[in-house]
Amino acid sequence: MKPFDIPQNDYMYSGHVGCPGCGAAIAMKFALKALGEKTIIVMPACCWGVMSGSHPQTALKVPILHTAFASGAAAASGLRAALDMRGDTETTVMTWAGDGGTFDIGFQALSGAVERNEDFIYACYDNEAYMNTGVQRSSATPAGARTTTTPGKDWKRTRKKNIVEALAAHRITYAATASIAFPEDMILKFKKAKSLKGGSRFIHIFASCPTGWRMPSEMSVKIARLAVRTNLFPLYEVEEGVRYTLNYTGDRPVKDYLKLQGRFAHLTDQDMDAIQKMVDEDWKQLQKKI
Amino acid sequence: MARIERLIGRGLYQQALECLLVENPFPAVCGRVCYHPCENSCNRAGLDCAVAINGIERFLGDEALHGRIQPTVFRFPPRGKKIAVVGAGPAGLSAAYFLSLLGYGCDVFESRPEPGGVLRWGIPSYRLPEDVPAWEIRRIQSMGVQIHCNASVSADFLEDLCRSYSGVFIGAGHGKSLTMNIPGEPFALDGLDFLAGVKQGELPDVKGPVWVIGGGNTAVDVARTLARSGLGVTIAYRRTRSDMPAFEQEIEPAMAEGVRIMELVSPVRIEKQGGSYRLVLQKMKSTGEKVRGRMGAIPDGTDVFSITAGQVFTAIGAGPADLWIPPLPGDARQIPLSHCTAVVHEIPLVYGGDLTNSRKSIPDAVASGKQAAMVLDLLFTEGKHDIPEKLKAFHVGAGPSLSMEMYIGGERKERSRRVVSYGDINTDYFPPRPRVLKSSEENTAGEDVAVDEARRCFNCGICNDCDNCRVFCPEVAVVKEDGSARRIDMDYCKGCGICVVECPRCAMDLEEEPV
Repeated sequence: MKPFDIPQNDYMYSGHVGCPGCGAAIAMKFALKALGEKTIIVMPACCWGVMSGSHPQTALKVPILHTAFASGAAAASGLRAALDMRGDTETTVMTWAGDGGTFDIGFQALSGAVERNEDFIYACYDNEAYMNTGVQRSSATPAGARTTTTPGKDWKRTRKKNIVEALAAHRITYAATASIAFPEDMILKFKKAKSLKGGSRFIHIFASCPTGWRMPSEMSVKIARLAVRTNLFPLYEVEEGVRYTLNYTGDRPVKDYLKLQGRFAHLTDQDMDAIQKMVDEDWKQLQKKI
Repeated sequence: MARIERLIGRGLYQQALECLLVENPFPAVCGRVCYHPCENSCNRAGLDCAVAINGIERFLGDEALHGRIQPTVFRFPPRGKKIAVVGAGPAGLSAAYFLSLLGYGCDVFESRPEPGGVLRWGIPSYRLPEDVPAWEIRRIQSMGVQIHCNASVSADFLEDLCRSYSGVFIGAGHGKSLTMNIPGEPFALDGLDFLAGVKQGELPDVKGPVWVIGGGNTAVDVARTLARSGLGVTIAYRRTRSDMPAFEQEIEPAMAEGVRIMELVSPVRIEKQGGSYRLVLQKMKSTGEKVRGRMGAIPDGTDVFSITAGQVFTAIGAGPADLWIPPLPGDARQIPLSHCTAVVHEIPLVYGGDLTNSRKSIPDAVASGKQAAMVLDLLFTEGKHDIPEKLKAFHVGAGPSLSMEMYIGGERKERSRRVVSYGDINTDYFPPRPRVLKSSEENTAGEDVAVDEARRCFNCGICNDCDNCRVFCPEVAVVKEDGSARRIDMDYCKGCGICVVECPRCAMDLEEEPV
């Protein structure tokens, strides 16, 4: 991999209160590098709601509109309408929500806004559980994971909800997955989302969480990369709900990814084989659509 | 090494060669004849195949040789001291070069009519064309080193030198062939003499089949030279091939050119038989016990057999002339080191090169000259105490290699001494890619190939500005102000360690703050 052309400007300050090695912090950094200064962030309850701090000392160089857990997409719809009324069509509105505010609590608002084809970007940084409240499972928690609400031998047995497919079913203008381990890919996708102004755009970001996943903070990016390299979290794009583009093909067994995290420490070889089967099946399904 | 490859990868050949010239006066020579142990420890081998360091060195050396770059060699101002060097072989010339770099004047005394030692007289032209060492020796001369040829150093002359110089380096080499002490030995031709003759354009009229007795590089060079002239050649060696002191990368091409090796045979006598010779050989067997790293061999019973040879050559090794045998250990004035032995009389004498090196090779000779220059400088500036201890500060890697750049306080001195291993490399950033530069005796790699090959280098342990640390830092705490190097803003770093893991080449390390 050669040094790539990543925008030099950062719209995030040092000194946010995220945990060491926070994947969501890296995600925000890349997203804002792509979107630039003319951006307003709508933020429902999530880790970042805490991390950014309160005005006028927030960790971001762009304005933030904090909103209730369920209403990230609804508030963004309203904000867009207000900006349009003022004649400001240049500013990008981006909802920045965690998986809880997207997959679970905010899902109806999101589904409604996307159905209305509201003109904003909805970015979900997915750390696969309700992390800042103490690692409770969400519908984004993957099968096999331990959380505080799926503890011990009661680890989560059901699959992670496939949010991109759910949004593709809405025939959304643009939906894509991105990973903090692939900065160039992620920045390009945010730039593309910005350029597709006029309709709803959704980016699902894989953002590792050292605290909740029980892994060393320095492994944050490495593990995010492994999620892609094992095809567990494929990098792809969907335009208008039907035109699929695959950005990367993995080459590693899912075991390599699972074994590095404490949240999967209880899994037996058989369990891991079962997860591998799920991954293979999903991968096959995805390839049929490409 | 990593830094040199990095500079080449960016097309900065001049800086790369200047880096290299601080450590080695003979890049074009070593790029051809070095047995490149560096490639054996190259971390890239863990992924696909070691970087072709030797071939890149040759490319760089030749860039200067063809005048495409004119590197400036760093030198200290003159110190007003003169050193005499005995022998203009690779050890003596290196000593003179490094001493001159450190600011000493040097006079080199060589018994033969031209300088170079084994480079001039011992290595066949197909491996090292004459103009290559000649050019690099001229570079050493251009630094002010005076080479006096046809100047044999006798015991009396040595005493004179001791009176008129501040120090003496003795790199007289092993020029006296060992003898087998068997009947009929005078019928055999001496390998070293033969090679020297060939280098002067005298190819004696040799009849095949040829038998070469010995197992070192000289034996292989003799065998290859003759095989190339179309003769059938067999090397007779008393141990097995794996015990041969010759380097594997010399044995292999020799065999490819038709040289055969007969293992476990020892010569008993040579008899004249009409126009040819009868070589009587004794079958040997392994003792099963290693002596100094090599399997011992003893006669296997009493049976002998004989073969008919058009000519027999001996190349069973060489020793020093009596005058140059270093004093025995135990002498209080002696300082034994890895590549040389210093003896402090009224003035310091340093024995080096083949006289003291356990492995007789060009890179070891160069290393010896470098170590000797450092030792002499330390003796003059800091006295004779704790020299081995002081030298340790300039070691690179796990072996005895010394860095002149560190000695003169260059940039390298600031770098971490940690030796990066393959396990420290983040291979996520390096897809496997086979060697681009394939070694060839005939041709030096072209620019494209050399640059491409240099880019295969992991650049272990040194920053190549990939920017990963800054890109991935979740705290925006790796800062790069315009034009300056990256630094970590310690007020905001939370010590997560992502930058260390995502550094592809282990140029960063996480240390706990002392409490």
